[in-house]
Amino acid sequence: MQVDLSGVTVRFGTLTAVDNVSLHFSPGEIHAVVGENGAGKSTVMNVLFGLIKPAVGTIAIDGAEMQWRNPQDAIARGLGMVHQHFMLQDSMSVLENIVLCSEPVSNLGFVKFNTARARLREIAETYGIGVNPEKRIADLSVTERQIVEILKVLYRDAALLILDEPTAVLTPQEAASLFQILRNFRASGKSIALITHKLDEVMEIADRVSVMRAGKLISTKPIGETSKAEIARGIIGGELPASLTRATQAVGEVVLAVDGLQARGVGKTVGPVSFDVRRGEIVGIAGISGNGQTQIIEALVGLRATTGGQASLLGHTLRGLDVGARRALGMSYIPADRQRVGLALEAKVSENAAIGREGTKAFRNWLFIKRAAMTSFARELIESYHIKVAGPNARTSSMSGGNKQKLIVGRELSRGTPLIIAENPTWGVDIGAIDFIHRELIRMRDAGHAILLVSTELDEVLALSDRILVLYENQIAGEFAAADADRLAIGELMTSRSKVVQVA
Amino acid sequence: MGIDLVLDPAFLQSVPRFLTPILLAALGGAICERAGVFNIALEGFILVGAFCAVLGSYFMGSEWWGAVAAMAGGVGMGLLFAEFSLRRKGDAIVVSIALNLFAAGLTVYLLRTIFGVSGAFRDSGIKGFSGIDIPLLRDIPVLGPLLNGQSILFYFAVFAALALQLFFARHRLGLRLRAAGENPAGLSAGGVDPQRVQLWALVLCGALCGLAGAQLSIANVNLFVENMSAGRGWIAVVAVLLTRGRPLYVLFIAVLFGFVDSLSFRIQGFGLPQQFTDVMPYLATLIALIVLSAWHKSKTA
Amino acid sequence: MDIDFRNQLLPCVSVFAWIFGILLVLMFVANAHFGEAISGFLNGAFGGRNLAYLLTTLSRATLIVGMALAVMISFRAGLFNIGGEGQLVIGGLAAALVGVYMPGPGWLVMATGIVAAMAAGGLWAVLAGVMQLYVGVPLLIGSLLLNYPARYLGSYLVGHPFRDVASGLPQTHLVPNEAWLPLFSGTRLDMGILFIALMSVLAVIYCNSTVPGYRARMNGLAPEFARASGLPVKRIVLQSLLMSGAIAGLVGALAVFGLHHRFTDGMLVQPLYAWTGIIAVLLVGMVPWAVPISGFFFAAIQTGAAGMERTADVPKEIGLIMQAVIILFVAGRISGVSLAGKSGENDNGH
Repeated sequence: MQVDLSGVTVRFGTLTAVDNVSLHFSPGEIHAVVGENGAGKSTVMNVLFGLIKPAVGTIAIDGAEMQWRNPQDAIARGLGMVHQHFMLQDSMSVLENIVLCSEPVSNLGFVKFNTARARLREIAETYGIGVNPEKRIADLSVTERQIVEILKVLYRDAALLILDEPTAVLTPQEAASLFQILRNFRASGKSIALITHKLDEVMEIADRVSVMRAGKLISTKPIGETSKAEIARGIIGGELPASLTRATQAVGEVVLAVDGLQARGVGKTVGPVSFDVRRGEIVGIAGISGNGQTQIIEALVGLRATTGGQASLLGHTLRGLDVGARRALGMSYIPADRQRVGLALEAKVSENAAIGREGTKAFRNWLFIKRAAMTSFARELIESYHIKVAGPNARTSSMSGGNKQKLIVGRELSRGTPLIIAENPTWGVDIGAIDFIHRELIRMRDAGHAILLVSTELDEVLALSDRILVLYENQIAGEFAAADADRLAIGELMTSRSKVVQVA
Repeated sequence: MGIDLVLDPAFLQSVPRFLTPILLAALGGAICERAGVFNIALEGFILVGAFCAVLGSYFMGSEWWGAVAAMAGGVGMGLLFAEFSLRRKGDAIVVSIALNLFAAGLTVYLLRTIFGVSGAFRDSGIKGFSGIDIPLLRDIPVLGPLLNGQSILFYFAVFAALALQLFFARHRLGLRLRAAGENPAGLSAGGVDPQRVQLWALVLCGALCGLAGAQLSIANVNLFVENMSAGRGWIAVVAVLLTRGRPLYVLFIAVLFGFVDSLSFRIQGFGLPQQFTDVMPYLATLIALIVLSAWHKSKTA
Repeated sequence: MDIDFRNQLLPCVSVFAWIFGILLVLMFVANAHFGEAISGFLNGAFGGRNLAYLLTTLSRATLIVGMALAVMISFRAGLFNIGGEGQLVIGGLAAALVGVYMPGPGWLVMATGIVAAMAAGGLWAVLAGVMQLYVGVPLLIGSLLLNYPARYLGSYLVGHPFRDVASGLPQTHLVPNEAWLPLFSGTRLDMGILFIALMSVLAVIYCNSTVPGYRARMNGLAPEFARASGLPVKRIVLQSLLMSGAIAGLVGALAVFGLHHRFTDGMLVQPLYAWTGIIAVLLVGMVPWAVPISGFFFAAIQTGAAGMERTADVPKEIGLIMQAVIILFVAGRISGVSLAGKSGENDNGH
């Protein structure tokens, strides 16, 4: 099946998200589409899949022009998409998830689960992948969920598979086995569209690569005719920012000491974990999301009750202290979810900037709040952290993701506390903002602050940390010094060695 | 008092009468809950159902038409909810509050304009459901008086609870309803519009709440009184909340509330001021809510 | 300009057309003369001999705006306190009991009554807050369910132990004359409206310019944000509910000392003051300065509807229906609030 996108343009209000993009997908080929966050890759794929209607442009299958009213049309014509965020129903079984929206039904509308089960077994045998169909999604590992998403697409007989950032949540080993599956598909004549921002993956598996930047298609080339450096230049429209440099420095006293800490997790207890973070070092916690990171961070910040062990900050125990007291003691927190936890989107920028400071002399006059002080403080943050926004009184929701994140980073780092906890601080922001935030964190480290970094991006942990802890199934599975940290060794520790998935 | 009271046939007879409206409404609420529609307008749905039941029964001369009209009225409320909450993106709580007031106003307004009375409308022209005598059931001790001789709506309600359990587990729409409540993006990605699914939830909920109203106005009695739902919709909301929309648990909770309701009705005869017995169902609901919330909190905190 | 017209004005026009259409249908159902009904409405809301009806509207607006302020304080903090009715009843009850049974000079009785009413209303609201914070009962449901015990407690107390038996109705004795709120000279409007005017000003200041008001607002917009930023969330909840309930209690006291001079069963429930207050706040999306205007608007609809009933024989419930319809149509436009903890997911990634 030959699939062609021609001259596709998508507008959201006044913003042109995709500008005159044409792409071609052939059977037996893996076509990678690369670009930064916000470059328009996902939007193009959503057009192809019928989730978004383009303002201009056509979709053609084997030369015949198609009009999608909704994804159902696209699915019927043999397209399948594995989305960046899982589209699964956690409380349902694997089988229920796979049939959902294309259920084989009897006359009265009852689902024929036996028919579905038989078909699923057939697919599993054909491609050599399978998951126990009766298991609940909530009990599956991230890789297994990924497999379910792929099975879902195969169940619908897709000839073109669109995979949006499929390795974002996988360890290097898991990614490798996913690629093996994709190679099997290629061999069986399916086309594969691979959306990614990881260039190493592109070089490893793609046959053809298209580069997008700011909504425009920059180039499409067979992999043999291009290079990693050329693709990188195409993605950012210039040279990559200089790589980070970290001078080795002597670490100081212990700032955060965690001793046998336990907290309630999803279904089971997280921990006990023990570690400490000293002045002048960044301690990175690597691990696939859902292995206890959130619970440990929340327990340290004071958002979640601990069930055992203890933690102390600068020698003061944290037991019994609420979030406010811990922050007053010398802790700052950059949360993973900027939309809900990091900011109040409907409030003004100045109101977000001043949060937690409203009780201090500078911002408070008896009962009354000093609005002028709030505004000028926000203006300072906007300047020193290069935040692009209309002004201190603009609504926070009007900012882009990167600028929202810079506002949070600025607000927290400017407190200058001995301990800084950063949780996925660059998730989903552009390269410029990533670089800026990384440099700020290193600057704080060099200035003698203790930083606890939790990230599901292994590359981020590797680039910033002086020491790396690996979290697996709610426990610390290993520790590495920056000097002898090895991607594969860390990946090995991060991997859930599950028995449920059998990859041929 | 004591065991004699509980085994008294008159008391047992009254239990299903009290539990039926709550059960039907709560099942409707459960469908919404599972589909991710936060519908706390059950009170208004029931009220419109109760009024339409009388309307249908009076003008068409049959209790069956009354039930049909009640369902139509409830479905109408469901469609209004869908229009303002789903299509016009109104907040569900705001829409619910408005619809409850709308129902309170509309039923009284129509009572006064159509029937020309205030307060209550009673007329021999209103045909009501009478009890169904089931010979085999009649002779079983305790269960006989409890279950026999009830209106068809009671048996339907119990059937609906069981059917709904199967519906959620094995029916296509049931599956999609659950998905709409859990991760609607998954439905969109599969080409099914979650809002369409939620519209169906509201239609079904409306029909069930309409029947709940019919039980009040043309089965328990044959008349319509202003604000006849009298808080039962809120009790149903609590039942939904406590059970998270699981039909069999809804059935269990409704039976519990039915017992408390009829118990309080019963002890009115023992010289307690009426206010004490009136407040009992709400206190019972509140206590159930507190106990279960506390239990849930201790498990997850 | 063109886009502005299509996006902003046209929907407004269509909403007005819808509301007007529904009004027409209702009048048709009631077989009413349209012109008569409208003039009856206007007269009922704003006219009357010596503007007597306008004063009635103001008197009703006093209570509605008061309830609206109460609701606004908690809604802005993200607290769905829909138990205003219970807090109002408990407040009115406390005021009436103090008013009837406390000896002493009139002004002292009234002042004590008001304080007692505010304390009682406040505590009733805090009870719902405690249930949410320490037991996990959702405030929305908890506060609502507390309406019923309050209602029946009032009903029992004035029906049995504190009943004015001679009056034949379930109500207390009259509060002595000296403890009544004075009237504006030459009118039948009592001075309760001044309390509410003052409360409105204080509420605007509280919401826009104070530290607790700012904290409560942040908690309302993004509760997880407030918590992670170290705001004293429990204190915000209890403080906001205390204030909210206290204002509701004050309204109950004003109804007793200004309007009815006793507590009659149902006098605070039947007119739906609490629910009207809620929708008055929702209409203006919780913008503090607009709340009194909105409350007056709904009061006018209610007294206007009563006028319509007098002149054109349209049942006055038409007012209630129209209020609900208006809220339905604005429900999709209520912005700047995170109702039920929803937050906009519009991160555009770059």
